[in-house]
Amino acid sequence: MKIGLTTTVPVEAVFAAGHTPVDINNIFISDADPMGLVEEAELAGYPRNVCGWIKGLYTTVLRSTDIRTIIAVTQGDCSNTHALMETWQVKGIEIIPFAFPYDRDYDMLQLQMDKLVKALGTTWGELKAWKTKLDKLRGLAWELDRLTWQENKATGFENHLWQVSCSDFNGEPHTFGCQLESLITELKTRQPLAEGLRLGFIGVPPIFPDIYDYLESMGARVVFNEVQRQFTLPFRVEDIVEQYRLYTYPYNVFGRIEDIKQEIERRRLDGIIHYTQSFCFRQIEDIIIRQQLGVPILSLEGDNPSGLDARSKMRIEAFVEMLK
Amino acid sequence: MSVGCGIDLGSRSVKLAVLDNNKIIELKKFDTIQFYRDFGRRVEGQLVIDWAGLGVVEADYVVSTGYGRNALDLAGAKIMPEIKAHVVGAVYQTGLKNFTLLDLGGQDSKIVKVVEGRAADFLTNDKCAASSGRYLENMAHVLGMSLGELGRYWQDPVELNSTCAVFGESEIIGKIVDGNPMPNLAAGVNYTIFKRIQPMLRKLMSPVLVFTGGVAHNRALREIICAASAVELVIPEHPQFNGAIGCAVSGAKG
Repeated sequence: MKIGLTTTVPVEAVFAAGHTPVDINNIFISDADPMGLVEEAELAGYPRNVCGWIKGLYTTVLRSTDIRTIIAVTQGDCSNTHALMETWQVKGIEIIPFAFPYDRDYDMLQLQMDKLVKALGTTWGELKAWKTKLDKLRGLAWELDRLTWQENKATGFENHLWQVSCSDFNGEPHTFGCQLESLITELKTRQPLAEGLRLGFIGVPPIFPDIYDYLESMGARVVFNEVQRQFTLPFRVEDIVEQYRLYTYPYNVFGRIEDIKQEIERRRLDGIIHYTQSFCFRQIEDIIIRQQLGVPILSLEGDNPSGLDARSKMRIEAFVEMLK
Repeated sequence: MSVGCGIDLGSRSVKLAVLDNNKIIELKKFDTIQFYRDFGRRVEGQLVIDWAGLGVVEADYVVSTGYGRNALDLAGAKIMPEIKAHVVGAVYQTGLKNFTLLDLGGQDSKIVKVVEGRAADFLTNDKCAASSGRYLENMAHVLGMSLGELGRYWQDPVELNSTCAVFGESEIIGKIVDGNPMPNLAAGVNYTIFKRIQPMLRKLMSPVLVFTGGVAHNRALREIICAASAVELVIPEHPQFNGAIGCAVSGAKG
């Protein structure tokens, strides 16, 4: 059966149990009318000043006919998820909670993974076997990422899309692997893209993915997608618990900052776009990010999936102009 | 020498600046709606302006900025980003190279740190335009006074706390009913604008603050800023035309 995910979780457990993981975020944002999904959640009573992703996720699941069980991340993503889970629960959706320990404690994480393994009725042996399989696919995503920043061959959007898809491998790991492999083959023969401004995109994936093409139309390209890259668990470690412990996104901001600093240097970034959702607690973390990164930063807010708005365009344009 | 025209397509008004040999020879302001209705025409997706109707000297080049430029492609004009236009305008008007620029317009609040004549960092309002000129217009209307009159009061402000500018209207009506004197209410309105820009201002502060946009005409806000921070406040001669002037100046540079 299909099992929905509210964000990246140890997805090996879902495959190991013989189920198909579905990252609901990806279903929501690739819907023909994502704004309609947000509006429907508002009609149900979701406040206007709540993250658009939460609202989109709510309706996406209720409209779906085959997602009846969801692994919801209760710690390490966002507290709005709690109420999201509860409003699903009253509609008859089964919820399996998963918590990334804030302090990155190994034992606590292992315990959470153990509970997940048991809830899904699989074993650690199966889990580890799937880790080996999925790491091969993640390796392809790492290669795509390398081709993006080191050889200038992939666009910011391609980099975003394939890495963000590593939360569930589109539910079809074999097909995912074949498609990504053929893309990589094609990229290797591609002429390098024009060398312009090199930007980093940090924060949650954007609710307006058209931002990548917009930036490229102005001679600036995203060669680092922070959280999307984290979704590929870019750490060569044997231990699966350690792999999810090194994953920066669900823990405190300082681990993220360390990772971002390394990538700024390695990828020779000219500037950073710090993206947050309007009304998100991560807007507060912008204070620390601005203090600690030491490169020009544009703090950008996105609300609804209605495309890049005129105001954001004005701000992006000014930022690019400033860096040139 | 060449004559250049800069156009700032703002949300409340359209500003034109004509420069001849880098000297301002004409400044004109139109209500935005009126401007598009009476002097603009859409031809093949482009906005064509009736220059003769506007009564403006025909220019050798036209550069535009402002809200409108993302939606409208002005025929025959080069476009430039707003922040840059404002920085160029402020450098031209003040002769300064290092300062913080505060531009408060119809819908926008922009704060730009300018170093050696170039934008080094900037912040703008987002999602909410309660820190803009439009808010002052609405509040002046509620209080039954002109914008000029509203801008005369800064002492003993009445505290106003609504997040929403529209709810702010009913809040101030409540304060009127409570018997607060008009000058204190007007001071409260002006102080509200300051409170909303203060966090951005603090992040990008310099010893010199150049204040532009229509709201720079509000004396009360100038007094409040000076009282709250030890800055040298500079108001250029034409604060509201700053963006249009910046366009015309940068067009002259090619």
